[in-house]
Amino acid sequence: MRQFFPVEDLARDERFVQTNMAERMADTRVPGGGSQTSSKKASSRSSTNRLTPDRHDASDRARGLMHGIMVGEIQALEGAGRTAHDFDAGDGSGDTIPFALKLDMARQAWDEARHVEISAKLSAWMGTEIGEFQENTVLFEAACSNDPVLRLAGVNRALEGLAIDVFTQMKEFGDLAGDPYLEFCEDWMLADEVTHVKMGSDWLRKVTENDPERRSRALEFQQVVDKLFSFGGARGDTAESSFQLARRFRELAGFTDDEVDTIAELDEQALAERKAAVRAMNAASAAN
Amino acid sequence: MASETLAAAVIGKVTVTPAEFRLVAFDAHELAALVAELAEQFGVANPIHLIVDEATPLAKLSAELDATSSDAPLTIRAESGALENMKQLTTFGRERAAESLGRMLLRARDRMRDDFADAPPDLELTLAQNAAWDAYCAGRLARRGHRVVQQRWRYNYRNRFGFTDRADEAFERLWAADDLGFAEMVAAP
Amino acid sequence: MGDAPAPERTTARAPFAPWDRRDLPGMFDVAETARRVGNYKWAEMKLFEALGGWIATVPELDVKMRLGTHCYHHAWHAELWHKRLPELREMKPERLTQPANEAMVRFMDAMTEPEAPELTIEKLVGAYRVLIPRFIAAYTYHRNNTSEITDAPTIRSLTFILQDEIDDWRDGEMMLQSLISTEHDVERAAAHQARLEAIMVEAGGIAGPGTIGPTTVMNGGSPTTDSTTEGDA
Ligand SMILES: [Fe+2]
Ligand SMILES: [Fe+2]
Repeated sequence: MRQFFPVEDLARDERFVQTNMAERMADTRVPGGGSQTSSKKASSRSSTNRLTPDRHDASDRARGLMHGIMVGEIQALEGAGRTAHDFDAGDGSGDTIPFALKLDMARQAWDEARHVEISAKLSAWMGTEIGEFQENTVLFEAACSNDPVLRLAGVNRALEGLAIDVFTQMKEFGDLAGDPYLEFCEDWMLADEVTHVKMGSDWLRKVTENDPERRSRALEFQQVVDKLFSFGGARGDTAESSFQLARRFRELAGFTDDEVDTIAELDEQALAERKAAVRAMNAASAAN
Repeated sequence: MASETLAAAVIGKVTVTPAEFRLVAFDAHELAALVAELAEQFGVANPIHLIVDEATPLAKLSAELDATSSDAPLTIRAESGALENMKQLTTFGRERAAESLGRMLLRARDRMRDDFADAPPDLELTLAQNAAWDAYCAGRLARRGHRVVQQRWRYNYRNRFGFTDRADEAFERLWAADDLGFAEMVAAP
Repeated sequence: MGDAPAPERTTARAPFAPWDRRDLPGMFDVAETARRVGNYKWAEMKLFEALGGWIATVPELDVKMRLGTHCYHHAWHAELWHKRLPELREMKPERLTQPANEAMVRFMDAMTEPEAPELTIEKLVGAYRVLIPRFIAAYTYHRNNTSEITDAPTIRSLTFILQDEIDDWRDGEMMLQSLISTEHDVERAAAHQARLEAIMVEAGGIAGPGTIGPTTVMNGGSPTTDSTTEGDA
């Protein structure tokens, strides 16, 4: 088995169809783009992208999101397993990671395996078939860095941080809709994710204790991933965002207020860039 | 919507707008053929105009019938997400499209019944009325051989009527029904 | 409650209750126990790394999830052994975190070789039909032969770990039985098992020769082993 495993080789059965960020960004349609069919009022909650029960497409959007969570959990499982495998136990320098960090990664693999189990059960409950929606492999890509510290920053802090935001929203949705399972399950998964993010925050600090340059490289990578995972501003503090930044849970997971503010700024930037790209694309197609 | 001004694709009594898609890889003629096939299967003889909004990936659908006779024009509006292949976004998904358009044709056929005279226009239906009608349509589609995941519609119904045994029983009745009036269909569980 | 005097009560009791049959002698001294525990830790570590690495390489969803769950089980075993080593006078656990011998290294290399998505049977055979049964054997022998009094902490860990090993072995065997469905599959599984088993025999087990004790009787006397590392009783 190779030391490092490329995202293109992720093993899936024939039900899954994979895509990546570049392909997703090439889709220039935007929710609400020029629609005459919806009668939504600008002031209603459904005029935002946020998942709330009062959307006309609430259950379908929840199904799509849950499937996205499920494939994300599969990739998180694979990523944690790879980090437990790819680096030898050592003092944390070079290609090694502390033995205790390897153990944490194995523990995370178990947690993520449970999350796949939970989201597969929830998907069935919601009437979604496995592989019904395409799988974006961007999550595993962040787990492919050859520097374990970058993986901690990209996966545990950025990716799992996003999981906290998404689960918080799903939990709220389940609660509002009165779904007896959704809120219960998301609550449990949130507890695990907060643990994983905290794990990332603690290890990042510890491993780079005497290497400030490596730490700043890792934090820089985290910002890149954070912006990427913002999905063109889908997450953020604004009303246009699909997902709110879950500030309280992030605080529990070891993020400082400044760090959360930085993520919010990155989300805003990503949203502005995405809007500009769509405008440019529309202008170009109108000119043709 | 700018694309509505483009020429339309026509097959028999079915017209599809736009004739050419820019943001999604749909073929207007393929769409028109599918609508014609479904209309025949469900006995909808009306002239049909399908207007696709390709600018949004959302999946809202509505059907509008000018009168209740079989020669009254029927307009179906669909956001592109209702017709695409969810495994390969922006490409056409025949199964999903058949299910989406099938529901709209069944709605139109329902609207031709006297006991649907009080039904509000599609865009004025409440979320609960929509969920009930979707369950009623999806059950009929399944019995006509279309690939429909019952649990999806049960979940949708539960989201509107509650996660209760009563709601589940009402859903089962809707799913199995073939001959309901509007009031009966939307009655609370 | 009559007038009879209360019987005389004493709190003096034997240190071992009549039902407590634990005995003092054991097969292993502190150094030998530490050596074995170091071998266990090394092998558990290699196993959890392999299971973790394979998760991304298997397409079968149920197998993928099970590997993630079992990866943690073996990491926990490695952790228990890691924590036991300083209690056995090895203050640098890394020093004893070693393979039993060179053949064990070759075994792990051969076991972790399969990577392609169509090789799930080979991956599972290596872990569940060769290595884990060897763990069960080594741990069972250790638990049944170490001093029940002086080495109680090792026994406690062995008991927890053995429960995991047996449960995981059953999971793995059931996954294999569900995957092996043709004659060709049977041949694949058997051939891979034979190849790995041969290396394992060369290694003599997880803790090297004598892993499960002496197995032959010489000179009509007590069983002997060619192990030179057996500790004093
Ligand atoms: Fe997770
Ligand atoms: Fe996680």
